[in-house]
Amino acid sequence: MRSSLGINPPKIPLRLLKWFCSPDLIEDVEGDISELFAQRSAKSKVKAKLLFTLDVLFLFRPGIIKNIQINKGSNQLDMISNYIKIAIRNALRYKGYTSINLLGLVVGITSSVLILLWVQDEVSIDKFHENGDQIYKVFRNMKQSNGLVSTTATNPKPLGDLLREEYSEINSVASVSWLMDMRFDWAEQSSEEAGRFASPEFLNMFSFPLLVGDKNTALDEINSVLISKTMAQKYFGDNWRDMALGEILKLDESIDVLVMGVFEDIGANSTLDFDWLIPAEGYYNANKWVEDWGNGSFHIYITIPEEAKVSIVGERMLSEIKDHTQGNPSAGDEESILQKFEDTYLYSNFVNGVISGGRIDYVRIMTVVAIFILLVACINFMNLTTARASRRSKEIGLRKVMGAGKKSLSTQFFFEAILMTTVAVALSVLAVTLLLPSFNVLVNKALSIDYTQFQTWIYIVGLTLTVGLLSGSYPAILLPTLNIIQSIKGGLKQPSFASYFRRGLVIFQFAISTLLILGTAVVYKQIDYVLNKDLGLDKENLVAITMEGDLASRLETYKTELLRLPEVKSVSAVSGNPISYGRSTSSANWEGKNPSDGYEVNVLISDEDFIKTAGMEMLVGRDFSAQLTDSTNFIINEVAAALMGFDDPLNKDLSFWGLNGKIVGVVKNFHMQNLYEPIAPLIITCYDPSGSPLLLVRIEDNTGAVLQSIEQITKELNPTFDFNYQFIDQAYAESYENEQTVSALANIFAVISILISCLGLFGLASYSAEQRSKEIGVRKVHGASVVQILLLLSKDYSKLILLSFILAIPVGYYVTQNWLNNFEFRTSLDPFVFLIAGVVTFGVGVLTVSLKSYHAATINPVSSLKEE
Amino acid sequence: MGKYSLGEFEEVLLLTVAVLYEDAYGIAIKEDIETRLKRKVSVGAMRTGLKRLEKKGFLESEFGEATAIRGGKRKRYFKVTVYGKNALEKVMEERQNLWKAIPDMSFDFKFI
Repeated sequence: MRSSLGINPPKIPLRLLKWFCSPDLIEDVEGDISELFAQRSAKSKVKAKLLFTLDVLFLFRPGIIKNIQINKGSNQLDMISNYIKIAIRNALRYKGYTSINLLGLVVGITSSVLILLWVQDEVSIDKFHENGDQIYKVFRNMKQSNGLVSTTATNPKPLGDLLREEYSEINSVASVSWLMDMRFDWAEQSSEEAGRFASPEFLNMFSFPLLVGDKNTALDEINSVLISKTMAQKYFGDNWRDMALGEILKLDESIDVLVMGVFEDIGANSTLDFDWLIPAEGYYNANKWVEDWGNGSFHIYITIPEEAKVSIVGERMLSEIKDHTQGNPSAGDEESILQKFEDTYLYSNFVNGVISGGRIDYVRIMTVVAIFILLVACINFMNLTTARASRRSKEIGLRKVMGAGKKSLSTQFFFEAILMTTVAVALSVLAVTLLLPSFNVLVNKALSIDYTQFQTWIYIVGLTLTVGLLSGSYPAILLPTLNIIQSIKGGLKQPSFASYFRRGLVIFQFAISTLLILGTAVVYKQIDYVLNKDLGLDKENLVAITMEGDLASRLETYKTELLRLPEVKSVSAVSGNPISYGRSTSSANWEGKNPSDGYEVNVLISDEDFIKTAGMEMLVGRDFSAQLTDSTNFIINEVAAALMGFDDPLNKDLSFWGLNGKIVGVVKNFHMQNLYEPIAPLIITCYDPSGSPLLLVRIEDNTGAVLQSIEQITKELNPTFDFNYQFIDQAYAESYENEQTVSALANIFAVISILISCLGLFGLASYSAEQRSKEIGVRKVHGASVVQILLLLSKDYSKLILLSFILAIPVGYYVTQNWLNNFEFRTSLDPFVFLIAGVVTFGVGVLTVSLKSYHAATINPVSSLKEE
Repeated sequence: MGKYSLGEFEEVLLLTVAVLYEDAYGIAIKEDIETRLKRKVSVGAMRTGLKRLEKKGFLESEFGEATAIRGGKRKRYFKVTVYGKNALEKVMEERQNLWKAIPDMSFDFKFI
């Protein structure tokens, strides 16, 4: 319509007018000048435009310009700047109090951030696979006749084939071996590398990117190999990208394999780790036993795209193994179950075939610890702020007189808390950055904070707000409610619930600290128990040497050579580390066995010197002897003897794997698994030690020199292989690394928690000493001794700490007993531990209070009484 | 100036609104002053004046019809209030009193 009349006032001046003109006037003013413009443009458009602009400029005058509304009815900007000013003044005026407050917050925030970083890292493990939420791992539950179920990830190979062919719900099936050491040779370069055999689907199922090669075909050819970037660099130098592909590596000095690709190094956040991958087919061809339904071999992973189908698959595959092994002599009563792959790291403990926690327990514990510590720090802030409110009572009163509402006063206190927290968080970020390297050493991880990531800043801001709002909440609620007149007069009496609440918070703080100390003590005690428990064998000065190449076939020579060393007491070949052992059969038969019972019995293959070398004790019967032909005789452990139900097991018939022999002795129970597990039944045989992968060597103390001699002998006999050994006791301690890490963490953070609590207590104590300075003065004038005053001042807080201890006992008992119950073999929860926790907390708390009280009690009464 | 404070330009505006009677809106007022009094009036000055008069209560206004030539914006018609009329009369009265009070001699320029 406008354009048809040709009225188009210039846009820019019009926009200007609209911007400054008061909204009451804009309509008709705009109409007026548009009309004018229309009239003028009948004569000259250019002139009309110019005049229009002039008109607009002349309109820019008071009366036409709208009211500037920025601060109309609100002065928040001014108030906020006032809050900042007051907060800074207050902080600087009471430096001691501010530093206690800040220190508490910084220590608390730093600790929690460190813990949460650890937690986040734990949780992120195995979460990087693109289709991670569709991948499931197959586990095998093996039922034993004693009612227990043991769970393993090794599955019969035919199960994988069956799932691949007959299950339409399953997208793909990948079989992956356990980690194996293989020797690779190329030109001069020769070393042992750890890797896995995997079926071709592996690369498409998991997200391990190939730097060179095609992931769709890389594992198709039977004689191909994929190597990691590190391994490629090691073998082919910096030029590996061009060199590696198509090169031939010699595998274990016998087979040629062709490099078909190079993959990115596996990060620390993957539980599937390997430096090489070789098609599973190669392993299957060389090991025909895997084709038997009765033998567990590779791990099986499957992808099920539709989550709803998971339970269907689970139900259908439950009894596949049992159905296919009917009549098979090595069959057991077995069921297959599924677990989401992403959960396998955190939920790795199976009790009777059902998942029951694992590392997730520690993740949860540490998360709770982090929250507790943060809470303790926040409580400090609350207590100190409210306790010292009388300092600010005049300010609060005056603000109220001048018209400040409760709301604006609470805004002020929230604001101050957030300001303080911001400073604390900034300092904590600095502290975390500085401490992270040492913390990484402690927890054996590579944690880091990426400050370039937006998310990091969201977390930092979120943390600041959470801590700020939390610690500001109580002051912000309490302080504005104070009576105006009282607060202006200065004789501020806080409502009685305030001091009760404060005491409640102190009790809570110390209860948490006691709890943490108690937890630490129990964990420490259990670990001490685990590490020093008599395992049934002598794990000190016992070395396990890995026998590689054809060393095992020249066992007798090797043993004779080693025994020539004066420091070597005895030597024995064995089919595995006796304290971390799991190789079982369900085909054992003995006199009087009910044929329908399936018994899973461990079998340890060794030679005549095993019992002696391992330092085990015989209960009844005799040890194997080189003089007698014992190759078909067996030794069993106590559990096996009980399982088989013999009153006198000696000379009873026993057969398995086609071996028929007699039981010649019963060895005292020793631990073959970690202490979470009960001791399993075991048969020890010495029928064919030449297949053993390990050699146990019992040596005398002071081992430095003897290891070199052992290495020399090994190298002479077996020049192409590395000399690999480990001390059994060290390996044992390492297998509890998790527990030790958590123990160390708990230790540190218990100390930190009590430190923060004491900081708060110190602040409160100094405050109350100050409040009562006149009372103390009067008492002293009347002859009270320092000790009496000390008692007077410490009494209140000591009661609180005692109360917190009483509260912490039942909770602590419940939590620690729960944790200990995870262990089949555990230390007892004796009252002594509780006593220690109580005494430590109480001691530290009372000491803190006394320190301040002593200062107050020794002040000359003149100085406290002279005023007024 | 008492109760009825009225500036010179305001008086002109007020009178013009009265002259235009039913047709007193922005541009009409401006043009009327310009033709009758031969003086330039800017939109801005006029607007501020009108607004001030309205605030003082001498004028009242209401929106009228919108026209295409105004870009679809409504006109604001002004009307003199009783109070405004009183003010005008008061001003006129004061002037007349002043005229009456001038002695004849004052304008007798022959003796200068």
